[in-house]
Amino acid sequence: MFFALVAVAALVVVAGAAAANGGFTPVQPHSPNAKHINTAYYVILGFTSAIFVLVEGALITFVIKYRSRGRARTDDGAQVHGHTRLELIWTVVPVLILCVIAVVVFLELPKIADAPAAADPLNVTVEGHQFYWQFDYPNGARTINTLYVPVGRVVDLKVVSRDVIHSWWIPALGGKIQAIPGITNHTWFKADDPGTYTGQCAELCGLYHASMTASVVATTDHAYQVAVTTTARANLGKAEFTGTCATCHGMTGQGGYGPNLSHNPLLTQKAALLSIVQSGRGKMPAVGDTWTKTQLQALAAYVKTHVYKGAASGG
Amino acid sequence: MAVNAEAVYPVTWKDGRVASWLVTVDHKRIGILYIGTSLFFFVLGGILAVLMRAQLATPGEKLLTKGSYDEVLTMHGTTMIFLVVVPILAGFGNYLVPLMIGARDVAFPRLNALSYWLYLLGGIVLWSSWFATGGTANAGWWSYPTLSESQFSPGHGQDYWILSIHILSLASLLGAINFIVTIVNMRARGMTWMRMPLFVWSIFTYAILLLVALPALSAAVTMLLLDRHAGTHFFIPSEGGSIVLYQHMFWFFGHPEVYIMVLPVFGMISEIIPVFSRKPIFGYKAVVFATIGIAFLSMLVWAHHMFTTGLGTGLDSFFMISSLVIAVPTGIKIFNWVATTWRGNLIFDTPMLFALGFIVLFTMGGLSGIFLAAFPVDWQLNDSYYVVAHFHYVLFGGSAFGFFAGLFYWWPKMFGRLLDERLGKWFFWLLFAGFNLTFLPQHMLGLLGMPRRVYTYHHGGLWEAYNLISTIGSGVMTIAVGVFLVNVYRTHVLRMGVRAGNDPWLADTLEWYTTSPPPPHNFDSVPYVTSARPLRDLRLRLSEDT
Repeated sequence: MFFALVAVAALVVVAGAAAANGGFTPVQPHSPNAKHINTAYYVILGFTSAIFVLVEGALITFVIKYRSRGRARTDDGAQVHGHTRLELIWTVVPVLILCVIAVVVFLELPKIADAPAAADPLNVTVEGHQFYWQFDYPNGARTINTLYVPVGRVVDLKVVSRDVIHSWWIPALGGKIQAIPGITNHTWFKADDPGTYTGQCAELCGLYHASMTASVVATTDHAYQVAVTTTARANLGKAEFTGTCATCHGMTGQGGYGPNLSHNPLLTQKAALLSIVQSGRGKMPAVGDTWTKTQLQALAAYVKTHVYKGAASGG
Repeated sequence: MAVNAEAVYPVTWKDGRVASWLVTVDHKRIGILYIGTSLFFFVLGGILAVLMRAQLATPGEKLLTKGSYDEVLTMHGTTMIFLVVVPILAGFGNYLVPLMIGARDVAFPRLNALSYWLYLLGGIVLWSSWFATGGTANAGWWSYPTLSESQFSPGHGQDYWILSIHILSLASLLGAINFIVTIVNMRARGMTWMRMPLFVWSIFTYAILLLVALPALSAAVTMLLLDRHAGTHFFIPSEGGSIVLYQHMFWFFGHPEVYIMVLPVFGMISEIIPVFSRKPIFGYKAVVFATIGIAFLSMLVWAHHMFTTGLGTGLDSFFMISSLVIAVPTGIKIFNWVATTWRGNLIFDTPMLFALGFIVLFTMGGLSGIFLAAFPVDWQLNDSYYVVAHFHYVLFGGSAFGFFAGLFYWWPKMFGRLLDERLGKWFFWLLFAGFNLTFLPQHMLGLLGMPRRVYTYHHGGLWEAYNLISTIGSGVMTIAVGVFLVNVYRTHVLRMGVRAGNDPWLADTLEWYTTSPPPPHNFDSVPYVTSARPLRDLRLRLSEDT
C-alpha cells in the first residue's frame, strides 16, 4: 500500500517535471555539453531516487509497524546488536552504485569537457568586470553583455577577469567556469538552435552581482557577421552605457546608486570623462580599465549626444 | 554581633545569582552558557535569514538591496556556522562528556571557562561590525579575495570578521584540547573505548578535526589581514599572488568544518534513537568506525568546492572519487539508525520525532550531495540555489534538527524539568513543514538557473512561485521557533514543566545515573562499567535482585 502510494507520487512528480520542466532537472539544453551533463544528472537521479525511496520507505514502515501502541516504556524491543552480513551488504552495494555513477561520469566527461574537433572554432575572450561581461571577437569587435554567435559552430571561450572572481554561466549552454584574476580558464559551447540564451554571474562579485546578466544570441552565420561588424560598431557606445554605466546611474542617466548624470557637464568634457572611466573615482570602479581607444571614443560620443540633457536650469 | 554572623556565613560576591555564572568553572554551567549563547545567536542569525527571504519573496523587491543584502548574507552564514552550530555542539559536549564518562569535570576547567568567554568575545566582535566604517564584511562567509581585499572592501567590516574568526578559532582549539585530554584520561572504571557512549566518540573526533582543520583557516585569514594592512600580496594576482591558494586553504578547513558541525549530531542521534526504540544501537562498532572513517575522509575532499575554478580533469577526478567514497560511511550510519528502529518499541516523544526528522532530511541532503560530487554535474549546480538547498538540508535538517532532538532529550537533565510534550510536537511539525517548504523549492530554483547571493531577480513564473513558497516556509519556521520559546517560558518562568526524576526516559548512559540537575561534583559514586549501556545493566541487576 505504502509503496504503491510512493510509486504513484513519484510518477506524478516525474510526469509533471517532464511536462513543464518545473525545475526538477537542469534547463532544456541547447549545446552538446549541457546535454551530456543532463545525461549524467538523470543517471544519478535514478540511483538516488531509488535509495531515497528505499531508506524513507523502510523508516516509515518501521515507524508504523513497530510503534509503541500503548506498550510501556519498560517493554524492551528485540535486543538485536547488529548483523554482520546485512551490514556488509549495505556497505558493498553503495560502493558498487557509486562505482557505476563514477563510470557514467567518466564516460560522459569527454563530451562535456572537451570541445569537439572543429575546423574553424570561433574564439571569443570573455572578460568579467564589476559589473558587466565584455566579449572580444576574432575580428577585433567588442560587445558588452550580449554575445553573438552563429548557430552550429563551436565557440571556444577564454574566460578571464581583471578585478574580482566572477563565474560565467549560461545554463542552456553548459556549466560554469570561474573568471579568476591571474588565471585564464576555458570553456566551450555549440548552440544547436537560433535563439537568445540568458544567464548571469554565479560568483558573488560585489554590489551589483545580481545585475551582472549575460545573453548569448545564436543566429545564422550571416546575421552573426553583420552583428560583429556593422551593428557592434554602431551600437558600441550605447551598449557600453546600458551595460556598464546604467547599472548605477540609471538607464537614461537619471541616477540611482550613482549620481544623476543627465545634467553633468563632465559628459561633454571628453578627457576628464575618460580618465574617470579608466581609473575610477571614489566609489566608482575603474569600469573601462581595459577599454580600447575606439571603445572610449564611442562612449564619449554616445553620452554627449544621448545622455547629456544640457546644464541644469535654475537652482 | 553582625560581624560574627558574617564570619559564620561567609557570603562572597562570587555566590551571587549572576556573579556565580560569571566566575564558574563548572563544565555543566559552562555548557549551559554555550547553549544559551548559541540559541541567542541562532535567533539573531534567523532574523537575518527571514530578512533575506522577505527581500526575495517577489521579483524586484526593495527591502534589502545591494550592499546591505551582501552584509546580511555574510553575517547570516558566519553567525550560523561559527556562533551557532559549532559552539552549541561544544556546549553539549561540555555538559555531557564528563557526565557520560563518569568524571567530575573536564580535565582543565579554567581553560574551559576561557574557551567560552573567548567565544562570547568573538561573537561580540563579529556583531559589533554593524557599527564599523563601511558596515560589516560583505564578501560572503568564504570571504574570497580579491573581493575581500582592501581595494574592493575598503571598510573595516572585513577586519572585524578576521579578528572574530581568530578569536573563535582560539576558543575552539582550547576547547578541542580539553575534550581530547578529558576523554582519553578520565573515563570511569571499566569504560573501554568500545564501551564509550557514541556521543563521546563523536565529540572525540569533532575535537581532533578542529585541531587539524582550524590552523588552515587561521593561516588563510592571517594572510588576508596582512594583504589588507601590511602591504603583502599573497592573494593579489596583479602583484604575483594567487586567489586559488586562498580557496584551497579556506576549503581545507571548510570541508572538515562541515563534519565538525554534523558528527556530534550523529552522536546525539545514536544516543536518542536506541532509547526511544528500547533497543541497543544496531552495529555499535560499525557506527564508531564510520565516524572515524568520515573524519579521515573529510580531510581529502575539500576541492569539491572548487570544481568551477578550473583545476583540470586530474584533480577534479580525485576529489570526485573521494567525495563519493565519503557517502559510504555516511550511508552506513543512516542504515544503522533505520535498523535500530526495526522490531523496537517506538515511543514518539519529541526527541524521537526530531531524531527521525533528522534521518529523513539528512538522507535528502546526503543524496543531493552525490550530484554535487560528480564534477560535470556540479558545473551546472555549483553556486546556484541548488547548493543553498543542499547545505541547508545538511546543516539545518541535519545539525539543527539534531541539536533540537538533543535539547528536548537532555533538557530535563540540565534543568530538572521536562519541556512540554504537546508544544514540543507542535514545534517539530511546524519546523519540519516550514523547513521543507523553504528549502525543497530552492533545489528547483538552482536548476532553473538562479545563482546564490543575488539580492533580486527579474523572472516571473516558476522563479517567482518557488521563491514565494520558500519565503512562506521561512515564516512557518519563524512561528515554530516562537512555539519553542513559549515552551521554554512556560516550563521555567511559569514553572509549569513537570519535574524530571534522575532518568525520565529510562536511558542507557551514565548521565542519567545522577540527579537532575546533577550536583556540582556530578556523582557520589560511579558504577563499574561493563558494557556500552551501564544504566540499563544497573536496572536489570536491580530488577533481578527484587
